[in-house]
Amino acid sequence: MDSIVVLDHVTKTFKNKKAVDHVSFSIKKGEVVAILGPNGAGKTTTIMMMLGLLEPTSGEVRLFTSHPKEKKIRERIGAMLQEVSVIDALKVKEIIQLFRSYYPSPMPFEELVAFTGLSKDDLKRRADKLSGGQKRRLGFALALAGNPDLIFLDEPTVGLDIASRKLFWHTIDELKAQGKTIIFTTHYLQEADDVADRIILFNHGTIIEDGTPVEIKAKLSKQSVSFVESEEISMKELKQLPHVLDVYKRKDRIFVVTDHTDEVIAALFEKKLKISGIQIEQGRLDEAFEQLTENREAM
Amino acid sequence: MRAFQMQCKAETIRILRNPYFVFWSLLMPIVFYIIFTKVFNTNIQDKQEWQAHYLMSMTAFSVMGSAIMTLGIRIVEERTKGWSVFMRITPLSDQAFFAAKMIGQTVIHLFSILIIFLAGALINQVTLTAFEWLMSGLWILLGSLPFLALGTLVGTMKRVDTASGVSNVIYMILAISGGMWMPMEIMPSIIQKIGVWLPSYNLGNGAWEIIRGNSPEWGNFLILLGYFFLFVLLSSYIRRKQEAAV
Repeated sequence: MDSIVVLDHVTKTFKNKKAVDHVSFSIKKGEVVAILGPNGAGKTTTIMMMLGLLEPTSGEVRLFTSHPKEKKIRERIGAMLQEVSVIDALKVKEIIQLFRSYYPSPMPFEELVAFTGLSKDDLKRRADKLSGGQKRRLGFALALAGNPDLIFLDEPTVGLDIASRKLFWHTIDELKAQGKTIIFTTHYLQEADDVADRIILFNHGTIIEDGTPVEIKAKLSKQSVSFVESEEISMKELKQLPHVLDVYKRKDRIFVVTDHTDEVIAALFEKKLKISGIQIEQGRLDEAFEQLTENREAM
Repeated sequence: MRAFQMQCKAETIRILRNPYFVFWSLLMPIVFYIIFTKVFNTNIQDKQEWQAHYLMSMTAFSVMGSAIMTLGIRIVEERTKGWSVFMRITPLSDQAFFAAKMIGQTVIHLFSILIIFLAGALINQVTLTAFEWLMSGLWILLGSLPFLALGTLVGTMKRVDTASGVSNVIYMILAISGGMWMPMEIMPSIIQKIGVWLPSYNLGNGAWEIIRGNSPEWGNFLILLGYFFLFVLLSSYIRRKQEAAV
């Protein structure tokens, strides 16, 4: 087995509130995994347990088959956490060198600087004087300082503008090409879709989906066929067509929600219904994601 | 080992670059020293002794301040900013992180002692024997340990504002009632009675004895030692409780 992260029935309870509830999964070397979910789904708590910063109430977390708190494990991981400000009174350059000194085989200084896109002038500045975006970049440099095999990124793109976001994910692609294993949390479905090999979807402390972005999307996104009726069509009749999940009317258009648009269109023609202006909608992923997590909430 | 050295260096640099430290621990004691030995020193009999005495007071005052305030506030800051959590995922152990802080502080104390002694020698031509300079410096350096422990106790506070407010008040009370600003003899007798039990008085008194050619009293040593253990126990007890609460 080349699973480098293993969670086995992990539960974390804070003052009788279950933040994470019997979560199990394993991650293989070289995977890029997105932990996705709405706020309060247990993403950060799970990351904190994987890092050994929180002890599970029950269950077990293993990194490289050892406890995450062990020194030899810490030498192989790097992380960017939420709500961590930079150390004060030191220059950017000094902090990076300090962090490099913690690890047995750190990433070369120049390479780190290149990865984070910090300029020569930035390096000479006091870290606490940097802008929010620059501080995030420094945080990223510190996560990579030890040239880690396993990288944790908790909401890495929060507060970044679109250009920095793009640059950031480009960097992640490069790290992936180097064979690094990367685990990141996000609540942007699009980011997870673009970058990850695998999405683990969290809600209310449990995993509700686990699969490739394509699989998850197929489950989450609902396609629909819409058209304008030339004469009245019975909604009931439409609902009885095969592969139809739902039918509704909005602004004079009828929407047929389906998991198989081709079949629906074929059926519509077969019935020789008087319709015009047929369109196929992919359905927005973000909406579907929101809907899914809300539905679970109601259950 | 390189990591530990780098960490000690980083901690030392951070204190030196802290404007609070420069103001409270270097500037203030020297300014006070000038005021109380150059400006208001009309009816003092043994001027030379007073100048050496007050130099010890101000040096102890400086070291006390950086031990309680610089250290205490910094610990709270590092925790509220998430820094101390972040350090826990690096291979640098908690103990090494803490030890580096203590070493950084001690280097800074040594530096403060040298600067203030030098200021005394330059401003008032204070002349002590080499043995007296060395012993009084060492006494103050070692005597700073209970105050470092008090700093870690301040460091258990939740908010930076509380920590800086509380540590400021403690610092001033300890300094004044320990006879650092004015000699104990001119204090109201109630303060004198309490003062002799305070760590600040015992730190100062050891040095005051040394410059008079005596040795520090055993009581000074024992009381400082007692405070050291008290503060260490208290702060580790509170820290453990806080960790258990998570």
